Amino acid sequence: MDVEADVIVIGSGPAGLTAALHAHESGARNVLLLEREEELGGILKQCIHNGFGLEQFKKDYTGPEYAERLIEELEKTNVQCFLNTMVVSLSPDRTITAVSPEKGVFHIKSRSVVLAMGCRERPRSSINIPGTRPAGVYTAGVAQRFVNIDGYLPGKEVVILGSGDIGLIMARRLTLEGARVKGVYEIMDYPGGLKRNIVQCLNDFDIPLYLSHTVTEIQGKERVEGVVVSKVDQKMNSISGSEQSIPCDTLLLSVGLIPENELSKEAGVELTPITKGPVTTETMETRVPGIFSCGNVSTVFDLVDYVAETGMIAAGNAARFAAGDWKKGRNPVEIIPGENVRMLFPQRYSFKDDLILFVRSAKPIEKPVNIELSPLGMRLKRLYARPNEMIRFKVSRDKLKAVTGPIEVSITER
Amino acid sequence: MNVEKKHFTCVICPLGCEIDVELQNGKVVSMEGNKCQKGEEFVSQELEEAMRILTTTVSIKGAKWAMLPVRTDKPIPKRLLSKVIEQLATIELHAPVRMYHVIVKGIAGTDANVVATRNMKKVNHPKNAKKDLISRKEG
Repeated sequence: MDVEADVIVIGSGPAGLTAALHAHESGARNVLLLEREEELGGILKQCIHNGFGLEQFKKDYTGPEYAERLIEELEKTNVQCFLNTMVVSLSPDRTITAVSPEKGVFHIKSRSVVLAMGCRERPRSSINIPGTRPAGVYTAGVAQRFVNIDGYLPGKEVVILGSGDIGLIMARRLTLEGARVKGVYEIMDYPGGLKRNIVQCLNDFDIPLYLSHTVTEIQGKERVEGVVVSKVDQKMNSISGSEQSIPCDTLLLSVGLIPENELSKEAGVELTPITKGPVTTETMETRVPGIFSCGNVSTVFDLVDYVAETGMIAAGNAARFAAGDWKKGRNPVEIIPGENVRMLFPQRYSFKDDLILFVRSAKPIEKPVNIELSPLGMRLKRLYARPNEMIRFKVSRDKLKAVTGPIEVSITER
Repeated sequence: MNVEKKHFTCVICPLGCEIDVELQNGKVVSMEGNKCQKGEEFVSQELEEAMRILTTTVSIKGAKWAMLPVRTDKPIPKRLLSKVIEQLATIELHAPVRMYHVIVKGIAGTDANVVATRNMKKVNHPKNAKKDLISRKEG
């Protein structure tokens, strides 16, 4: 073996940075952080807007400030960071094969592993938009990198498909930089992004948002010359006769994110269609012992604060596992989505810790709701439930002691 | 009498109350939809002078990347956003720059400063030498 470690963290975005720091703080002696890019921070570096760390630090940081804060703390520790290091494989016994220009191909054996690879954007091919294949079709995150890091404006007349947060942020960013954003089109009948982004990114700049609309054709030979948008019915089929041509030179796609789990799969980590990430317990341990998972590789979170929180949990437990302080304990029970729950994380409870549960509603309910945990008879009250706002809550270990079978989580109108 | 109706979405908390306001000669005569006092404060601030934090980028030379991220260190009037962007477009910095280094003091006559939001080291071989390439061609 070329290198040995107590805890290895793969990826240095908000989840990985927090995990590496917290593994160190939890007493792990030999912590190694692997990053494929040439600097730490992951996607935070291009997220130059504010709104990061409101809950975690009670500060309104931009992405780069949030990253620098963690990096500066990390620099005070003996955590080793390998940059330009791409992990090419991970085995169930926690052996990593990585490659970097400096070290070539090398192997690392670790007592525990924290997966923090984040997520990737869904591209055009994942939503099958008909039409030609000209230049000028970008995912919102790629456009964000062009503008904020490389200093290129991807186009002048822009249509945005999808109202996810990155799309909304880019609508404002491109407008400020002199492009004309003609509209944001959303196939669902409710917006995908947070309300504050609708207000501050679209309303502030009079950018129209069209719900129940989608792009049904891309036109242009060399470069995008226009798109056709159509209204959709309740089954999300385009309504014929509602087509409208919009001249533009750029189409941005903000149509969802998918956890990046190629390595997890190779290590035999079981994934779930509920999150498209690993099945984990409240300790963030996957179904492969000693492999933990956190942040957007687990499930796509709305807020960086949640990403960091899962990073802390995963790292604390990975450090414990590495130290040999990890008892098998009671058999975990399943946590399953019930009525009106589209997403739920984690999916198992192993009686080791308090349960921090993240739930996403299947549809918008603008009325007071109960979030019910059966058969516990627990009811949590919320003023509303919206699919674009994850619901987070904590259930103490004491309350869960008596559970013997699956826990079902549902959201019902009060 | 000049009667006007306006709609606001409060962004003070995630609840996002939809608030309808009726104005007479610019004065609020009725407000509906806000679930708390903060909504009222939000609306009166928006009516008086909408304030926003601006985050953008400034050109930088001698660094690994072409752009340095910056922000205003406090909210500035919304109506000044594009003016500030135009002013910042004329600036070119040179690496190294430390986070929170003041790039423009009191931007556009406000009491807000534009500050760097990350550290950027000086490198000997900037990867993104786009502007150098262009000027060489022109020369």
